Amino acid sequence: MPIAERGYIHWDGELLERRRPWLPITRQGIRLAFKRKYFKFSFFVSLVPAFGFLVGIYAAEKIQDFKLKIEGVSTILQVNPGFFRAYFAGDFLLFMMLMLMVLSGAGLIADELRHNALQLYFARPLTKKDYFMGKAAILVFFLSLVTVVPGLVFIICKLIFSGSFRFLADYPWIGLSVIGFSALVTAFFSFYTLMISSVSKNRRYTAILLFAIYIFSDVLFGIFYASFRNPYFALLSIKANLQQVGAAFFNVKAPYAVSWIYSLAVLLTLCAVSAFILHKRVKGVEVIK
Amino acid sequence: MKTIREIFAFFAFYGRKTRRTQAFFLISLFPVAIAAVFRFHQAMGGDGSFDGMYLFTNVIMTFFLQFLILVLTLFFGTSVTSEEVEGRTLTYLVTRPVPKSSILLGKYAAYTLIVTVLVWIGLVACFLILNFERLGSADAWTVLFRYLGVLTLGILAYGGFFTFLGTFLKKSIMVGLLFSFGWENVIQYFPGSTQRFAIVHYLKSLLPRVMTSRGRFSFLTFRLEPTSGPVSILTLILITAGFLVLAALLFHHKEYIYED
Amino acid sequence: MSAVIATSKLSKWYGNVLGLSDVTISIEPGITGLLGPNGAGKSTFFNLLTGQLKPSIGSLTIFGEPVRNNSRAFRRIGLCPEQDAFYEELSGWEFLTNLLRLQGYGPTEIAARAEKALGIVELLADKGRIVRSYSHGMRQRLKFAQAIAHDPQVLILDEPLNGLDPLGKRKLIRLIKDFGREGRTVLVSSHVLPEIEALTADIILLHHGKILAVGGIQNIRDLIDTHPHIIAVRSSAPRALAAHFVGEEYVLNVHFENSRDSVLFETTNRDRFFERLTRYAAEPAAAVEEVTSPDDNLQAVFDYLVGT
Repeated sequence: MPIAERGYIHWDGELLERRRPWLPITRQGIRLAFKRKYFKFSFFVSLVPAFGFLVGIYAAEKIQDFKLKIEGVSTILQVNPGFFRAYFAGDFLLFMMLMLMVLSGAGLIADELRHNALQLYFARPLTKKDYFMGKAAILVFFLSLVTVVPGLVFIICKLIFSGSFRFLADYPWIGLSVIGFSALVTAFFSFYTLMISSVSKNRRYTAILLFAIYIFSDVLFGIFYASFRNPYFALLSIKANLQQVGAAFFNVKAPYAVSWIYSLAVLLTLCAVSAFILHKRVKGVEVIK
Repeated sequence: MKTIREIFAFFAFYGRKTRRTQAFFLISLFPVAIAAVFRFHQAMGGDGSFDGMYLFTNVIMTFFLQFLILVLTLFFGTSVTSEEVEGRTLTYLVTRPVPKSSILLGKYAAYTLIVTVLVWIGLVACFLILNFERLGSADAWTVLFRYLGVLTLGILAYGGFFTFLGTFLKKSIMVGLLFSFGWENVIQYFPGSTQRFAIVHYLKSLLPRVMTSRGRFSFLTFRLEPTSGPVSILTLILITAGFLVLAALLFHHKEYIYED
Repeated sequence: MSAVIATSKLSKWYGNVLGLSDVTISIEPGITGLLGPNGAGKSTFFNLLTGQLKPSIGSLTIFGEPVRNNSRAFRRIGLCPEQDAFYEELSGWEFLTNLLRLQGYGPTEIAARAEKALGIVELLADKGRIVRSYSHGMRQRLKFAQAIAHDPQVLILDEPLNGLDPLGKRKLIRLIKDFGREGRTVLVSSHVLPEIEALTADIILLHHGKILAVGGIQNIRDLIDTHPHIIAVRSSAPRALAAHFVGEEYVLNVHFENSRDSVLFETTNRDRFFERLTRYAAEPAAAVEEVTSPDDNLQAVFDYLVGT
């Protein structure tokens, strides 16, 4: 048997039948997430606001039947863009989305760094892009179930309960707003979660970091805003930025007197920084000197 | 005691070296950055209402009390046991001639020291920045030392609780986060004796200025019906000791099976 | 010689899953190999032995003392665990010296013992590097070093040769044999049967949580009645050789391997066969060139008993 020439043989062929190589990563991640007790509980709790708002839509149509004479209640239960903004950019939903990310996302990359499993992925015909897409799709799946899906269900139920298309005639852009804001908040949380998950091999540490950075940004904003009364400090808070952009998407008055464009820029910058950090941290081989 | 000392020495050394500790050190400097921003604003001719002591006691201290020590003790406290089980290094410790309770107590002591040092550095730095003009005043230093004492008691109590949590539960972080940022926050809204079911109640009862729900930082403070100082200190010590005893007993009897 | 490690009806359940069942053995000083396929209960046995698990039923003693929650016992026990786990951000030297500190030694003795242990496993040159930068073989050697650094009288080695290169394996096998010769008690597990055979002839064979066999490889082989011994004899006159034995009642089968001029005999009584073969080989006309026992080894014992 001839002795082979020493050297690397580079394969120049074309990969055939590349059918969504990221999909098995996503399927497995979703399956594993649902195996966790805390996650299942948190997931169903995060759907509670959706049910609440759905009941609100129903109640808004049936308000005369309930003979509610309490002053102002008819305006509270008005199903308008403000109603949608209240759901999408509400504190509780954003908090529950964060909890879902902590439970399903903190270990997505951290666990693989710990077990040195990245080599197993990149020893296959899988690019880094496929890997990130697979991981991100897990988070997108769960986030979509609490954002775009309930949002579209709200619109459909509003149309059904009201028995007319007047709502769509009044707000023809509402569907796009739901999809657009859901996409933004989903993309942001996905980038944020994956980036934090990639900074350490310790899942406990990444879970705390995910939570702490989000809360800290809001506390920081609260401290400076209370001290200096400058609305631009809202740009320090992840929650405030999401709420600013949410208000813009649903064409309602923003909570703080700062342009939503700046908030959007902050969120997009964070996404870009996250992507950069992910690119640096996720490698097939780690060289330790 | 000797074995506790040996374990303490091991993990005080190890804990200092880890990158996580270095990262948490940077996090603990955030309040220093906040203090520096306030001071810079004042130096650049900001509004004349700058009161360093007010900011220190109502803003910085609250940040430490209701955020920073919770994050630090949650991580380090649960790490006492969880870190060894997740990292599969528990084997090295339990196969030494060291009682299991010594392992737990020694490591708790080491990590508590690390957290205390991180917190003290941040708090003292904030104090110096915000109260530069008052450094000659004994009252100001009294406030600082009192606050250092309160935070240390908080670190001990929270650390003990989270050590127990990490020993008892496999997935202690979620419960820890819900306790820290759910229970400890929400319970303060409840009047009367209900507040006494939160560790933060006893810590706030020890603070020099009782926090009320007035003022521009009311979003940070809650209506407090304080417990007396001696009772608060005793309760915090009992909480620390109680949870540590429970943790040690549990650690002694529990079997830890590594996940494949 | 009294047993160093003694178990009596030792059993362990994980809920409904049986980990170990009714294990009653005595292990004396010397080297004993622990064998079994994956899931046989070897790790469970080691975890029970080192007090990390509590027996569901039965008892276990080392030097007459129970091990679980008896930290004193670990002055004389060294464990090399299977899992590849370290305090990654410590250097090899720091890792070893800190563990030695827990043994209760003073600083001078710690340094001396650490130097000696690292010298034995040839890690002195890399002692200052952090463990995270070590290769798999270096990590394995460091694990062994921490197991021997305090001169234990009982050494429990769970897959100690994993990840070592052939030279490293040979050195470690020699070292383990030295420990055995010094009168220490060494219990070693491995999946690689030739490694166990190189270390010891005394084995404990576990399967499905139960002990299948205990003792010397030869003794165990002799007891396996369901599988007659196979003996291969190479001869220039194989048919004459075969004719000499075919009438013996302890010879069950004769098979010719034409390609090698060998005759394979299946016999129920190896001793009588060899006695007769020796007498035949002494005859002038006999042409016996080579005698081997293809199944008189650990692999065969393992295969016959485990049934793979």
